[in-house]
Amino acid sequence: MLASFIPLFLQILMAAGLAYTLLIAAKKLGPKRPNAVKTMAYESGMDPVGTARDRYSVKFYLVAMIFIVFDVEVVFLYPWAVTFREFLTRSPQLGLFVLGVVGVFLAVLTLGLVYDIKKGGLEF
Amino acid sequence: MDITFYFPPLADYVATFPMLVLAVAALLCVVVDIFYNDAKGVAILAGASLLVTLLFEAARLSLPPAKALYGMVYVGGTASLVNMTILFSGFLTVLIAQPYLKRLGRNYGEVYALLLVAVVGMMALGSAANLLTLFAGLETMSVCLYILTALVREKDGAIESALKYFLLGAFSTGFLLYGIALIYGATGTMDLSDFADRLASTNAGVMFWGGTALLLVGFFFKVSAVPFHMWTPDVYQGAPTPISGFMATASKTSAFAAMVLVLGRALPSAQWQTTVAIVALLSMVIGNFVALAQSNVKRMLAYSSIAHAGYVLTGIASATPEGYAGALYYLLVYTVMNVGAFGVLAYLEHDNRQGDTQTVDSLAGTGQRYPLLGVVMAVCLFSLLGFPPLAGFFGKVYVFGPAVKSGLAWLAVAGVLTSAVSAAYYLRVLYVMWMKPSPDDAVAPQFEGVPPLAAVALAGCAAFLLLLTFTPWVMDAAVAFFRDVPAAIVSLP
Amino acid sequence: MDLPLYWVALIGFAIINFFLVSASVLVYYERKVSGWIQNRPGPNRVGPWGFLQPFADVAKLIFKEDISPTASSPFIHSLAPVLMVTIAMTTAALIPFARGFVIVDTEVSALLVLALTSIAVYGVTLAGWSSNSKFSLLGGLRSSAQMISYELAMGLSVLTVVLITGSLRLVDIVEYQNGPGAWGILGWNVFRAPIAALIFIVTAFAETNRAPFDLPEAEQELVGGYHTEYSGMKFGMFFLAEYVNFFVASFVIVTLFFGGYLLPWEDALLSALPGLKDSVLLGVLQVLSLLLKAAFFAFVFIWVRWTLPRFKYQQLMTLGWKMLLPIALANVVLYALFFTFKALLGWGG
Repeated sequence: MLASFIPLFLQILMAAGLAYTLLIAAKKLGPKRPNAVKTMAYESGMDPVGTARDRYSVKFYLVAMIFIVFDVEVVFLYPWAVTFREFLTRSPQLGLFVLGVVGVFLAVLTLGLVYDIKKGGLEF
Repeated sequence: MDITFYFPPLADYVATFPMLVLAVAALLCVVVDIFYNDAKGVAILAGASLLVTLLFEAARLSLPPAKALYGMVYVGGTASLVNMTILFSGFLTVLIAQPYLKRLGRNYGEVYALLLVAVVGMMALGSAANLLTLFAGLETMSVCLYILTALVREKDGAIESALKYFLLGAFSTGFLLYGIALIYGATGTMDLSDFADRLASTNAGVMFWGGTALLLVGFFFKVSAVPFHMWTPDVYQGAPTPISGFMATASKTSAFAAMVLVLGRALPSAQWQTTVAIVALLSMVIGNFVALAQSNVKRMLAYSSIAHAGYVLTGIASATPEGYAGALYYLLVYTVMNVGAFGVLAYLEHDNRQGDTQTVDSLAGTGQRYPLLGVVMAVCLFSLLGFPPLAGFFGKVYVFGPAVKSGLAWLAVAGVLTSAVSAAYYLRVLYVMWMKPSPDDAVAPQFEGVPPLAAVALAGCAAFLLLLTFTPWVMDAAVAFFRDVPAAIVSLP
Repeated sequence: MDLPLYWVALIGFAIINFFLVSASVLVYYERKVSGWIQNRPGPNRVGPWGFLQPFADVAKLIFKEDISPTASSPFIHSLAPVLMVTIAMTTAALIPFARGFVIVDTEVSALLVLALTSIAVYGVTLAGWSSNSKFSLLGGLRSSAQMISYELAMGLSVLTVVLITGSLRLVDIVEYQNGPGAWGILGWNVFRAPIAALIFIVTAFAETNRAPFDLPEAEQELVGGYHTEYSGMKFGMFFLAEYVNFFVASFVIVTLFFGGYLLPWEDALLSALPGLKDSVLLGVLQVLSLLLKAAFFAFVFIWVRWTLPRFKYQQLMTLGWKMLLPIALANVVLYALFFTFKALLGWGG
């Protein structure tokens, strides 16, 4: 079971190695003549005003929070999706019940989405 | 792949009918709110669903305790009693909060949806037969209460108290969860009724008792017992007043009920009795003495609620069926008198410019001006004090009595003495309300009186507290019932 | 595959190199196709038909100065492009290239594809934040909001496929699409679940930040978006990751919905030519079939870029949350209901 993941880790290692090599190669081969103006943050040619680490719209947090809710929903649905047709072949009535359970789950979350849309949580 | 599966029997749906109804009603509240934007309709829906489930639970009161939903929750008997207390608190809160929030311009439909979901969580917590149900209920309840606390979000105090509540609450939930994890690691079960067997067969080590200690910390936080009480005054002060009343009563009732279930059913009393007794003593002493120094009425009631947590803990510390019965009885009485007291304060906020930063002095003369509020407040405060003919007195008898029988006479004595101390601050409020004339510069009363439904609810609170006094048979029956049922809780299978 | 580990490593290395080269070829391909669509020649100076242009570009990028802004966080500034390239190259290894030719063959490959895609968000966000430039930050924020919004619809459309095939293993998903006999390509998931296929393709555009979803680097308003402050090879790495990503996205689209490595009417073909079964030739043909289909979708990616104008931000969010997400959700429920009634009524055994 876990053994089937070993190639994945190998691949991650090799891909990261490639990326690191590219990074180092550019560091070694490229020239290095930094000056104050060159390393200044780009702001259409003007001197940068203030910092960029500033507060930004709360809408982004809202999107992130709603995302978490629905992402978890999708993750919960995967085990159901994999086994659903198995349930149906064993007993259609059982499958119907399982569909009902998932249906309640979906209905509640969909209501959440409708609520969010109606309340303007997704207006930009 | 072997799929073993059981269809839940229909009886399970009947048994958990109140929770299902309230959960569906909460969703309906959201639907009504977003599609019709009708906060009044939402309030009616919430109130009606709470009333229906309250009657349903009352009908189930005489049933023997049983388990439902794969042994995850208790139903009937004691669980019904706890659920009734919670539902009663929720129902009164809806009646009182609706006009109050409307005046404040905060009568959102979401309030009622959150309230219903919180009630569902409390019911799950108060009738949990499994540590998982307990945790799920606790979280459902807490998250809703965090939001309700910050309802008036433009107010600095509300944000502050909600944030404090949230951070400390999340922290204490962490303790509770670690406790559950350790207990599960030590015993291999989360089912409360399995603990006794497992403890008998295996040697409960540091892991188990460490888990129990963490679990207790979580509980003590939720019931605001000293030394985990620091959040209480800030939160009660910052939250909208009827919501404070709801938090002070329903959430405590459910947390105490869960505590009775866990401590009474699952753990041998010799191990925790002393701890609970000491916490009870600290809560009574610190709660009552600090309340003396408060000038803000809501903070005073918050400290008094800490002291009352101490009284209830005294009943639990006796570790006898009578003690648990007394604790649950006390919670019912406490719920009624606290909802009443907070309800009166909520309406007095409309009386002058002080809003909810009410000091004791700002109440001067209100008793004369609003006799109904004055009388209700008097009954509630006398009952909180434990003045003999009122229900609060009998509540105290039923928690202190078993404690004496269990050899905790010192705790009972401390309870009685600190109750005497509490007279000072309860009576000061009544003195100011009734005896002190309004100051000359008082703003002319701006409000036309208490709305009828809220008046009925408040009068109902006072009537309930008096009822038990003047109809002894009700009390006897109640006591017999309370004596009888929790015996089933503690009898280990 | 029961190959020794060093073989696996070697093949993985080969795949990485294949995608490195194909990224360069894709850059050339995109510029040529763009030129063709816009009625101009495109690159034609370096090498025959300008074919060596991308290689010259890479050489240039490596020898360029690597500037990191004074106010940036140097470590994260370097981490972001490394993350992007790593993720892009790792996702490539999950794709089955032919029957029995897949490097990472797990029970949950479809989930891994989604998981790796969502890690790419970190690369973009970190790049935007670490540069400490306002354009970068805004680009990074927009990009992360966009990618997480479309990830949901993407996950739900994959869910439809999983519901149909009953497996999260990409190999199983591909084999399931092998229509028996004359059915042939009608077994492909695109015919079984056309709506899911459409949603997946749209969200794949958004996930790879390709036009018309290229708001994160909308040059008219945000200069270069999250890579405003990147130069030299670090910028090159973002560039590389973007092209690898959209090529891999083409592969994933083909794998999930267009029969993956399957030849058209493969079942019928094999019964007509029994000698082909289990032969090396079949493997080669399958790889070619996959490559051709993927190349077609790579072409679609470029084609769309010059056909559709860029969305506005609120159009993008509206499309993602109010259109694609509900439709994808309804689609899943529809298929679940369909299967339930099919089973209840006893259709099709």
